[in-house]
Amino acid sequence: MIETCEDFKNNVLNLGVDVTETDFNQRGYHLEVALTLNTVREFAQKAYEQGFYLVFVTGFHVLPEEKEGVKFSGLEVVYQFARYDRLCRVKARVSVSEDMTVPSICHIYQGANWHERETHDFYGIMFSGHPNLEPLLLCKEDRNYHPLLKEEEKLKSFETVSWPAKTLESSDAETTALSDP
Amino acid sequence: METISTLPPELIRMVIAVIIIISFIFLNAIMMGYLERKIAGHVQRRLGPMEVGFHGILQLVVDGVKLVAKELLIPINVDRTFFRLAPILSFTPVILPLLVIPFSEKLQARDLNLGLLFIVSMTSVNVMAILVGGWGSNNKYSMFGAMRAVAQSIAYEIPILLSMLAIILMTNTLSLKEIVGAQQKIWFVLLQPLAFIIYVISGIAETNRAPFDLPEAESELTAGFHTEYSGIGFSLFFLGEYTNMFTVASVATVLFLGGWHGPSLPYGEYLGIVWFFLKVYFLLFFMIMIRWTYPRVRFDQLLNFAWKYLVPFSLVNILITAVVVKL
Amino acid sequence: MRESTIKEHNRFFLNMGPQHPSTHGVLLVVLEMNGEYVLDPQPVLGFVHRMHEKIGESRPCQGFMPNTARMDYVCALPYNHGYVSLIEKKAGIEVPKRAEYIRVITSELNRVASHLLWLGAYLLDLGAFTPILYGFDDREHILDILEDITGSRLTYCYYRFGGVCRDIDDKFVEATRAFIKRLRKRYVIYEKLVTKNIIFIKRAENIGIISPDMAIRYGITGPNLRGSGIAYDIRKNEPYSVYPEFDFEVPVGERGDCLDRYMVRVREMEQSLRIIEQALDNLPDGPVRSKVPKKIKLTPGDCNFAVEAARGELSYYLIGDGTGVPYRLKIRVPSYSNLSCLQELGRGILLPDLVSIMGSFDLVIPEIDR
Repeated sequence: MIETCEDFKNNVLNLGVDVTETDFNQRGYHLEVALTLNTVREFAQKAYEQGFYLVFVTGFHVLPEEKEGVKFSGLEVVYQFARYDRLCRVKARVSVSEDMTVPSICHIYQGANWHERETHDFYGIMFSGHPNLEPLLLCKEDRNYHPLLKEEEKLKSFETVSWPAKTLESSDAETTALSDP
Repeated sequence: METISTLPPELIRMVIAVIIIISFIFLNAIMMGYLERKIAGHVQRRLGPMEVGFHGILQLVVDGVKLVAKELLIPINVDRTFFRLAPILSFTPVILPLLVIPFSEKLQARDLNLGLLFIVSMTSVNVMAILVGGWGSNNKYSMFGAMRAVAQSIAYEIPILLSMLAIILMTNTLSLKEIVGAQQKIWFVLLQPLAFIIYVISGIAETNRAPFDLPEAESELTAGFHTEYSGIGFSLFFLGEYTNMFTVASVATVLFLGGWHGPSLPYGEYLGIVWFFLKVYFLLFFMIMIRWTYPRVRFDQLLNFAWKYLVPFSLVNILITAVVVKL
Repeated sequence: MRESTIKEHNRFFLNMGPQHPSTHGVLLVVLEMNGEYVLDPQPVLGFVHRMHEKIGESRPCQGFMPNTARMDYVCALPYNHGYVSLIEKKAGIEVPKRAEYIRVITSELNRVASHLLWLGAYLLDLGAFTPILYGFDDREHILDILEDITGSRLTYCYYRFGGVCRDIDDKFVEATRAFIKRLRKRYVIYEKLVTKNIIFIKRAENIGIISPDMAIRYGITGPNLRGSGIAYDIRKNEPYSVYPEFDFEVPVGERGDCLDRYMVRVREMEQSLRIIEQALDNLPDGPVRSKVPKKIKLTPGDCNFAVEAARGELSYYLIGDGTGVPYRLKIRVPSYSNLSCLQELGRGILLPDLVSIMGSFDLVIPEIDR
């Protein structure tokens, strides 16, 4: 099994997104991509062209914060992609701004349709361009109830639930050493 | 029944025959139900019914009591007349063919000279019952079942008639007694193997048995035309199905397997019925075995098979028969 | 069939499910139909939704173990396996080798049981009643074997963080070997009864063809994907546990139709048996459970762990926050993605073919609804 994501990394760097190589043994995925709302679709298109399939789309809820003057809702959407022909798992995430809207990718990956509906059920995130954002797993009466939104006292900041920065550096070194031979 | 033919009024004779036949129909349904469950059990490496009576022999009697004792349920939105009519329509006509079947040389209620035609017309009423029941149930699945039954019946009655025609060409008669009589020396299954195969296949389809059980295709249409029926309504359909199977097997025995003929027995003119029943139940056993072995065909495959294979082959068979008979 | 030629009044809706023999549980498929032709099948989910993800986020990670078996109850041990492996990775727990071997053996037994049940259920969808009882007969042996060591027959909770809860004994080894011998003999029956059956072949061949591109667009995994000729198996492609130590093949089909999916599963059973045999032969000695702290702490940060369940890729994605309770637990179940392609696959086909396709997907509804 070829274990490399080099070409994909170089490919998506053109999009102007933030790509980090991670330690697969520690995290279970090779690349972490931080997307912006504008690059979600382009990234998905690239991934599709490169032969990645969509593993899942989900979200998580952290303390809302303000970055560079833009208010974020504290919700993050996580995409995971993998390949059939070689070992390369990619996690992409995008912060949801205050209008709670993320571009839908279900015209690129039709399988995203249900995943996005589910994420909408659980978090109330809107996916613009989605053909049918009706409740899927929850019933229609509960359309305004989003079970996975955390109560305020349980919310934690994004930093608390992320890998500490220093392990990231050491793992970077390991990854390059691994992919060398 | 020849003995009672000496009684002067014809009417009494017919009434007695009908009573015997109706009781036989119930007995046959019980036997067939038991056989089916027992054979299915053994095919599937289990025992089948074991609890009621010796080896579960009374199971079907108990089931019958349960079905009869159930409340008559009529769903709200059904067409009440049709809904009630269908089971009766399914059960009544199946009695009549048995009146003309010669069980042995002297055991026949009435020897019509158009016996075969009478049987064919009576058995095809059954599809009316399915159509009426399916339509009256006001249920889309029932409707599917009914529509399938009609198309299937039309497709498979033609090869049945054509294969019968080959026999009629050879015997020059429609009387069942005379057809059996013509097989004194050699059974027609040896002279007309193709017609026999076509008849058996079409017969299974005509009685809506697996692998051609599309009108009730459980995994597609829940229960097809009898989805809404329970209790006595369901059991009348059930009786109708088993009696129809019996009729089809009896006609096959009469036409192809030499009817009551077999190694000679004392009182042969009456005890020929033993050979007759052996042959009939062998065919029924065969039909049951097929049901528990094969998956169900798809609807278009079923119709294709009838129109593209069975009908042309039976036409060729008739042609060959006609030429040979003329020579 | 061209949709434009259908008159509007000929269209009607048919509710297949939630109580229908061939939806295998409480799945509703709303079918827009024209006669017997399906124009647009629309699956409706959520009838057995239990919000397992929320449960996983609201209690210490040990407490979620029994829940993992209640998603895919037909093949529960790989679900156990994925979850314990994820937590072990996140909390840095070592697992003794013997325990990993036992996990592989029991997981593979469970996979065989699942495939046997599927084989029968699929044939039942096609109208053959007998194979399901043969399948159940064989599956019963596996359930007996597993019951002896795990204590349950269906919803197992056998694995523990750092190992398994009970060691296997000679009786287990003997019974497993006897079962392998028995199942190999039974292949002949299955082949005669099912695989070579002309009606079965006609019902499955060239029905519901999944192209590789379609698989990518919907994220189809497992035997459903391998039927389309793509040899993607997490056990080989992203090896976990001790799978790299075993020699086994990944069977693939060619066309991607129902028949290929059937053949892939049948051949997979044999590969699972091979894995079990090798594992039993090389079973190392030693403890089956390592010392685990009473309070497990999950390090901050996210982590993904994928295993090959009987139906495809099962991914647990966990975000830790330094406590023992997961901050976020996402469970990616294979059938969810597999079923989502039904809408595209089921356009313009006959109702019996739709039943055949859904049967060939090997759906377990509680797994989809979670």
